[in-house]
Amino acid sequence: MVMDELASRKYPVREHMRFQCRLWTIERIGWLVLALITVLALLGLFGTGILSNRSISAGSLTIDYDRFERVTRQAEFSFHFAPSSNGERRLRLNRAFQTNYQIASIQPPPARSSADGLDLTFAAPAGSAADVVIWAHPHSYGTMRLEARADDEPPLKFSVFVYP
Amino acid sequence: MDSVLKACAVYFVLWAIVRISGRRTLGEMTAFDFVLFLIIGGATQRAITGQDYSLTNALILVATFVTIEIGLSLIERDSPMMRRILNAAPTILVENGHVLAYRLRRARVTEDNILEAGRRLHGLERMDQIKFAILEPSGNISIVPNERSGRVETAWPEANSLTSSS
Repeated sequence: MVMDELASRKYPVREHMRFQCRLWTIERIGWLVLALITVLALLGLFGTGILSNRSISAGSLTIDYDRFERVTRQAEFSFHFAPSSNGERRLRLNRAFQTNYQIASIQPPPARSSADGLDLTFAAPAGSAADVVIWAHPHSYGTMRLEARADDEPPLKFSVFVYP
Repeated sequence: MDSVLKACAVYFVLWAIVRISGRRTLGEMTAFDFVLFLIIGGATQRAITGQDYSLTNALILVATFVTIEIGLSLIERDSPMMRRILNAAPTILVENGHVLAYRLRRARVTEDNILEAGRRLHGLERMDQIKFAILEPSGNISIVPNERSGRVETAWPEANSLTSSS
């Protein structure tokens, strides 16, 4: 029955059933791929979501960021400083950040900044924790190897993949 | 440079998606399908143009799309194999009133779709009045009516009974 249906007819149109069956199979694989993309996007493989959210910390600095970003789409980096006796907090970001991101906003605005990479100094009350959030748009794609240093601590390295 | 590459990427990704969505969804477009295609167009349009709204960019994109389109049509003209890959091939769904159920299932066509096409195109009422139903590459169903048991035979007795009763 099915075997007969798989035979190619020549009249009224010329069929290629083997080829057609292969196409139908590819079609079904394609549906699975599309469904998979949707599920992965929900989970955050292409941006915000549980696969993407990361939090790393070393010394007094904790960084919350997205492992996956998309070019031109605003990304959020939040930096948390543990309480310290110092009245000023210094955050240094490497040149990869400076050259690949267009900064939209820094909250709170830095008290001073200097051009060695991106060297920001924030006023913060001594003895309490401090939070700094940077919103920035990546304008190139690929893997960004970023480094952040709090005060004079060793740099905290993290990498972000930016989708085209 | 990147405008051309983006346009090529979008062209082939969209082509692949439309192709795997199948002939059923292509040919028989409902009002909602139309809205859906507009949204797909809008979503991809921004990815291609980005923030470059210049006339030059628009011209580059149009030139790229038309070039690909012409190139593919030349390939299709010269290679039957490529024509089948790019454009699908016709498939017979009903043969002498006999429904080829396996093919219907794979092609996601129901018997009702075929009967509907029969009614619309030839005013046919039953499956056995259909000699051939063919799913065309465009996604439309073509109907070849059966000459022997066409609607003429079934229509006349009714007409006769009407005239004799009056």
